Formats: sequence, C-alpha cells, structure tokens
Amino acid sequence: MSPANKIVRQLLQSILLLGCLVPVGYAADGLNVLLVLSDSNALYQNFANTYRQSLPVGVQLHSLQRAEDFNGQHADLVVTVGVKAAERVAMNTTQPMLAVMIPSHSYAGLLAQRPGNKLTSAIFLDQPWHRQVSFLRAVLPERRKIGVLYSTDTRLEIAALRSELSDHGFTLIGSALGSDDDLFTRLESVLTASDVLLAVPDSAIYSSNNIRNILLSSYRRSIPLVGFSQSYVRAGALCAIFSTPEQLAAQASRATVSFSQTRKLPDAQYPVFYEIAVNHEVARTLGLSIKPAESLRLQLEKSPENMR
Amino acid sequence: MLKHTHITFSLLLACQTVYAAGSSSEMDYYQELPVVLSASRLSQPLSEAPNAMTVIDRKMIVASGFRSIPDLFKLVPGMYVGYYKGSQPFVSYHGSPDQYARRMQVMIDGRSIYMPPMSMVDWTTLPITLDDIERIEVIRGPAAASHGANSTQGVISIITREAGEMGGTQLSVTRGGKGVNDVSARFGKRGETLDYRMTLAYTADNGFDNLTAPPNDYPITKSQALDLLYNSHDSNQARLFNYRADYHPNAIDRFDVQFGFNRNVKNVGWNDSTGNPVHDLFATAGFLQLGWVRVFENDSELKVGYYHIRHDQHETFLTTLLPQFIAQSVKVDRDEIEVQHTLPFSASNRLVYGAAYRQDRTDSQYSSLAPIAPAYVSSLSTAEWRLFAHDEWRITPRLLLNSGGMLERDGFGNNRLSPRVALNFHATAQQTFRTGISAAYRTPSLMERNFPALQPGELFVVNATTRSPGFRPERLISREIGYLGEFHDWNTTLDLRLFSDLLSDGGFQNTATTYTNGMSAEYRGLEATLKHSFNENSELTVNVARESASSNAAALAAAGFRAFRSACPGNNDTVACSTPRNNASALYSRRFSGDMSFSAAWYYQDAMQPLDRGVIDYQPIQRRMDARIAKTFNQGGGTKVDVALVLQNLFDAKYTDYVANNVFNRRGYVTLTLDW
Repeated sequence: MSPANKIVRQLLQSILLLGCLVPVGYAADGLNVLLVLSDSNALYQNFANTYRQSLPVGVQLHSLQRAEDFNGQHADLVVTVGVKAAERVAMNTTQPMLAVMIPSHSYAGLLAQRPGNKLTSAIFLDQPWHRQVSFLRAVLPERRKIGVLYSTDTRLEIAALRSELSDHGFTLIGSALGSDDDLFTRLESVLTASDVLLAVPDSAIYSSNNIRNILLSSYRRSIPLVGFSQSYVRAGALCAIFSTPEQLAAQASRATVSFSQTRKLPDAQYPVFYEIAVNHEVARTLGLSIKPAESLRLQLEKSPENMR
Repeated sequence: MLKHTHITFSLLLACQTVYAAGSSSEMDYYQELPVVLSASRLSQPLSEAPNAMTVIDRKMIVASGFRSIPDLFKLVPGMYVGYYKGSQPFVSYHGSPDQYARRMQVMIDGRSIYMPPMSMVDWTTLPITLDDIERIEVIRGPAAASHGANSTQGVISIITREAGEMGGTQLSVTRGGKGVNDVSARFGKRGETLDYRMTLAYTADNGFDNLTAPPNDYPITKSQALDLLYNSHDSNQARLFNYRADYHPNAIDRFDVQFGFNRNVKNVGWNDSTGNPVHDLFATAGFLQLGWVRVFENDSELKVGYYHIRHDQHETFLTTLLPQFIAQSVKVDRDEIEVQHTLPFSASNRLVYGAAYRQDRTDSQYSSLAPIAPAYVSSLSTAEWRLFAHDEWRITPRLLLNSGGMLERDGFGNNRLSPRVALNFHATAQQTFRTGISAAYRTPSLMERNFPALQPGELFVVNATTRSPGFRPERLISREIGYLGEFHDWNTTLDLRLFSDLLSDGGFQNTATTYTNGMSAEYRGLEATLKHSFNENSELTVNVARESASSNAAALAAAGFRAFRSACPGNNDTVACSTPRNNASALYSRRFSGDMSFSAAWYYQDAMQPLDRGVIDYQPIQRRMDARIAKTFNQGGGTKVDVALVLQNLFDAKYTDYVANNVFNRRGYVTLTLDW
C-alpha cells in the first residue's frame, strides 16, 4: 500500500474511531439527522450506507429515499444528497442543512434560496480547479495547451480555471458553444489548437450521447481526453480525478460529527478524498507513458497547491 | 480550508442568479457512459506491434494529392505500385509480381477484398473513395495470426471513417488533364443512438498518356511500332455509393452496418492483341457488412461480424479470330462470418481469439466460341475455416511478447498452421527493439488450379475441372529485427526493419494450363521511415528501402520453364531483377497563415525488369515529384470552401509503369470542395 493510500485509510479509520469514542450523553447523543436522498438508486444508496456506518452511535438517523418525500420534517440537521434533494430542502425548511454531492457552482443559488440562514453548508462534488491543474501537471507535464469546450450559459468558473492554468504555465484554449453552434465544428477548432482536451461537467456538451463522438474525434487526432469520473476513464478518457459517493459520505459524516459537537457547520468545502483513474490501454495507444495512479496521487499530495 | 472559504465567497459574488435548470448535477459525474475506445477500436502503437507497420493517415492522404487508393502505397517503404493499364493497378511488396499481385491480403474494415478467381484486388471497383478513408495500416511481413488467411507478404488494412465522423454535407468537384473528372457528395448526421454517413461519387479519367516513341531507345520494327505506340486504351469510370451507420442503443452494445455499390466501366485490351482487342469491361460490385461489438464488465469484448461481397464482371468483344461477338462473365459471391473475443487476463496479458468461416462461389461463363469451343459454364464453390489466437503479454514493463497463430483449412482441403512470435524490448522510454519470426501461407487461386484452356478477352473463365490438383499453398517465413526511436524532444521518429523473407513452394505456370510449386526466393533488406516535425505546421516523412532478392529462377529457366525466362540484361535470376534495389519516397507538408497549405512528394525507384514482362517493358529509374497547394476560405457558420491544385510528375520525368505503354506525363487537376 502506498503511503498516500495509507494516509487516506488512516483518516477514514480515525473518523470511524471518533464516532465510536463519542461518549453517551455527550452532544452527539440524541442528534437527530435527516438524510434526504435525491433518488433511491444505487448511487445514493452507496452514499447512505457509508454515511450510516460512519456515524457515531448516538446519532439518530432517518432517511428519505426521494427528494419529494421531504415536506419540512423536523430534524437537528438535514443532510441532502444530490442537487434535487438540496433544492427541495432549501425551499421547504430553514433547519440547518448540509448539502452534499452538489456542484460548487450551484451553491450560491442554493444560498440565495435561504437568505439570512447561517446554518447552511455544502460538500461539493467537483474537484477544485487547483487540484485539477495539479493533476494535469502530474499526468501530462509536457502538454501545455489545455482545450476546454463549454457552453455559453455554463455556470462553471472558466475564468478562474484560465488563471489557475496560466499560473502554472498552461494555456487554456477555450471555446464557448452557443445554442446555434455546431458542437463538432467547435470541438474540431479546439482540438486543432490543443494538446489535451479537458472535459468539464457541462451537460450541454458532455452528455452520454455526445461523449462517443467527442472521444472518437479527439482519439482521431491523438489528443487525450481528461475526464471527471470513473466512467469517463472506462469510456476511453486517458485519466480522471474524482470523488466517489463513499468518499463524500465519509466527509459528510465528519461534518456531522463536528456539528453534533459545536452545533455549527464547517464552511462549504471541496472533496477531501478523491480517486485517480488511468486508462493505460488508451495511454499506450497514444504513445504516452503515464505514471501509475498511486504515484500520481503521491505527487499531487506533495504539490504545494494541495497545502492551500 | 481558508482557500475554500475564499472560493465560496467569490462564488457568492459571481453567481447571483438562482440555480437554473440545465446546470450540471451529480448525474454528470456518476452517469454510465458507453465504452467508446474499446479494444477493437484502439490501434496498437508502433512500439508494441509484432510486425513492421506503416500508417498512412488522413493528413498524408490529403498531402499526397493522390486521387486513387493504390498510389498511396508509394508512401510505404519497399512497396511496388504497378499498373497493367491505367484502369488496372496492383500493389505488391518485394518487387514486381505479375499483374495480379496475389501475395498480399487487402481488407477494408476487416472485409477481405482479395477475391477469386484470380486472388487479386480489383482496386477500381471498390465502393469507397479516398475521402472515405480514415487511415491505412500496411503490415510489412506475414500476419496471419491477426489478419487471417493469405496475409502472406503483408497486409493492407484500410480503415474507413466512422459513421459519426461527419456531421454535415460536403460537395466536391475535381477537374483536370487526361479526362480527370470526379464529383462526390458526402453527407453525415450524428444522432443520440444512431450516426450515419453516406457518399455518392463519380470518378473518371483517361488513364495513362500514349507512348509516342520507342521506350528506352529500344530498336523496334515498323509493325511493332504500330502495336506499341499510341496504344493506351485505359479510361475508367466508376459510379459508387456507400453508407455506414453506427447504432449504439446502450452503453455496451454497438452495431455497425455498412453497404456499398460500385458500377465500373473500364477500357481494356490492346490494338495489337488478337484475343483481347480494345473494348469495355463492365463490373458491378456490392457489399453488405454487419458488425456487433459488446463490451463486458471485465472489459472483455465480443465481436461478431458478417459480410457479403458480390463482384460481377462481364465483357463483349469482337476478335479477328471469330466472326461473332464473344461474351463472357465472371460472378463472385463471398460470405464470411467471424467471431472474435478479446480477453484481458490481467493488466499485463491479453488474449484475442476467434474463429471464422468463409464461402466463395465463382460462376463463370462464355458464349459459344464456335467453331473453336461450345458455350461454357463453370460454377465452383469453396469453403474455408480458420481458428486464430493472439496473445499480448507484458512480461515486464519493458518486455512485450506477442505470440499467436492461425490454423486454417483452406477451400481446397489444405490444413496449415501460421504461427507468429515477436518480442518487443523497450530499451528506454523512447527506443524499442523488436525481433520476430512469422510464417504464413497463400492459398492457391482458383485461376491457378483451374486454369482455362482458352482465355480470350480480359476475364478468366475458369475451368470446371481442376487441372492442377496438387498445387499447394505457397509459404513465406519472415525473420526480422526492428528498431523504433520516438524522440519526442526532437519531434522525430525513426523506424527501421532489417528482414529476411523466405518464400518457398512458390507457384508458377509449368505448362499451358497447369501450375506447380517449386520456386523459392529470399528477399533481404533494410527499410527505414523517418518522420520529423519542424514545427507545429510542417512535417516531413521519408521512406527508404534497400532490398536484394535471390531465387532459383535461373535453375528453373534452365530446366525449361518459360515463366522464368529472364528478360533482364546480364542476370538470369528474373526474381532478383524484378526487385528494385532501392526505393524511396518523401512527403513534406506545410501549413501557412491564411489557411494556405502546401505539400510536395518525391518518389524514387531503381531500374528493374517487371517479372513477367518482356525486355521492352524494362523500367528505367523512376523519379517523380508531385505538389499540392490549397487554400481554405472559411465563410463562417461552419461553411467553408477549399480549393486545391495538384500537379503530378511536376518535372515531367519520363518513366513507365510495369508496361512500356504506360507513360505518365505531367498532369494537373483542381479540386473545389464545399462543406457546410
């Protein structure tokens, strides 16, 4: 086991341990948590299972399997999983709320729905740009022109990405796709000027319908695609950095424990735990020598950006 | 954590709008995606391939300026591109063969177009245009384990553009000298579960220029001059259509449907031929190809494919021998089914194995040749099967062992095993050494086994009875050492192959109607490809091959076999003489600002004597330079216009191709392409 992996495991174990050590009668005792899932499918169940298992014994946990089931039920803390549940809860209660598994850019909108309510926080789904850029630097240090295709109405912070990239000697080759533009014409123009294509969570572009031709176009030009989930890597992306539902659940449980002790929520935060996946078949075909995922992780954890 | 808070606040300031529908959600991250780049879609990098391989990609195809597919193989080290006539090209490896070039497998998307009864490729009846090709992989050396039967001297694998590669419409018109007249319309659409594209094209040219003076100052008689000079009748017109669809209803299945059609009319025959006067040969070729690929949880992949090819040819002509028209036809049907499974045992070991079954039927006939022969019909079917396996084992990160083989039972009941083993050693991240040995067999062609007594015209109406039942498959064993240097810092790659290819049991015509085995030849040489990018906008590819051949042809000629009578001055070995000592090509391309591009190509081939031609067809040194200049006008909104001018044989160097009549003078053409 690599040292990096060890650190993560130890962190997870300490969280579990912390839960067990909380004495009966302490603040956790009687904390009433309502977990609201966006949907009942396996993705949310995986989250719910890990979350339940990592909570201290004194916490009373109730779960709602679908966002629609929430009608203002009382709890000390409402933990929502996914965008749908977050929106539903934000609209229907002023109780303390921890929105987990939401894109960072949707958080401001969520806060706007709860004006003046200080007891709101979130654990984002997406990786912070600095981590994404460190990742690019670790994987493909030679490739400096990063192609990014996004839609004109995207809520992603492209300007922040651009400056983060240029701070580290990269250039963002961006193209904004308007509703009248042809996706593949735009894609070709981005690919022509780039040497990596960085996929961003913009559903107008990176949908399951478009991904096949996006991957084929970039592969045809021998330009690797860097994705943002495990399924991207399986589909044919070179690599991705992402957080699993289980990892987000572990982080959520940590925030819950903290809330039980202080009745305060930590600031909204990006994922602490993450995975790195590499498609070595694709790397070989493109003639790229990529370090194993574990070495990449180590490099990332050592990088100064990660200390911020 | 301080940083996070800061980000949160800046987000707060930046996004005052409420959360909107259409924004991303967790489903963007956790959705299931189709496995797009599965094993069968990923091409093996050169540094890991078990054979030497040349890849001709789209950029090279465009830069070459060529408008016919066979010409592209001039860009492969050691390849010989010959023309019996302008409308009858052939491609071979290791010097000139006869005009049928039977020792190379040729495939389009895995569909073998190496067809009976001649076991040759009819390049002019392919239902694709150059614009339909994504890339061509040319494997130099036997590759039966991965490419099936008859992958003897090498394999040409043409990969057409994916169905989803094009979204929009393209119209293209080419006009030029020597009757060059091409028109094509291409259309493609990408959908949620279905992508498709189609091409409708017409291509025409008038072939070679006429020979106007005796070749190589060869002294000819007046009657010879009448036959030899001004005897280029080789115009060619093709009307073709192809369609490709990719249906992907879910994340694990993919269906590929292709069909195409080509109606070709070519001018064949000679002024001076009594049996084969100048006339038209009509061909109708069509195919249907279906493929299904499923990717499983463990990333293993199942691929099932079926295709049908129909290739009909007919001709009607009048000879001086008979008072009536002779009409003859050859119709070929091919059906093949193949199942292939790719199984990754571990991250370091992957096995590809499968089985295939193929049926070929050849129906030929000629009308009455009274009083010489009555009307005649032959219908011959062959069925063959093969089992194959290929294992790719990364013994250590530096050492890769490719091993495999194919077991086949050919259409004539011959059982053969074609093994291949190659070891690739990555000495450094940029340098790979490869050594390998492989064997492959060529199944006798129907023409060789059932050689017709009479062969008027262009077609071979094969005999119903087998005249050469004992004619066995030819065998080729190749040993090679390869080197690949990929120097990224210098934007340069160097690919070398040092080889010895040994042909044994080689077939030849021993009597007027029979073939036998007994020829053996060894081809040794060094091939090199150098690629260099000067900057982002210019590239150079240089190919060089130096080769020598030796055979028992002199002994066979001495034994009285006419097939090996040497027409070569000072050399009795006609095989050695038909293999050019040096051959080279270079392709340079450069893009300028203002959407201008320029490319130039240079081709060189040493003097040689084509294998089965007379001394008059001696090919002196061939030098040719082509150039292309193009400009793109972007009209906005995805509309663009391309104008390209191609000049071939820029310096009007005098050379001939295989037959002395084939003179290629300087010519040019302009292509106008509109995309929207």
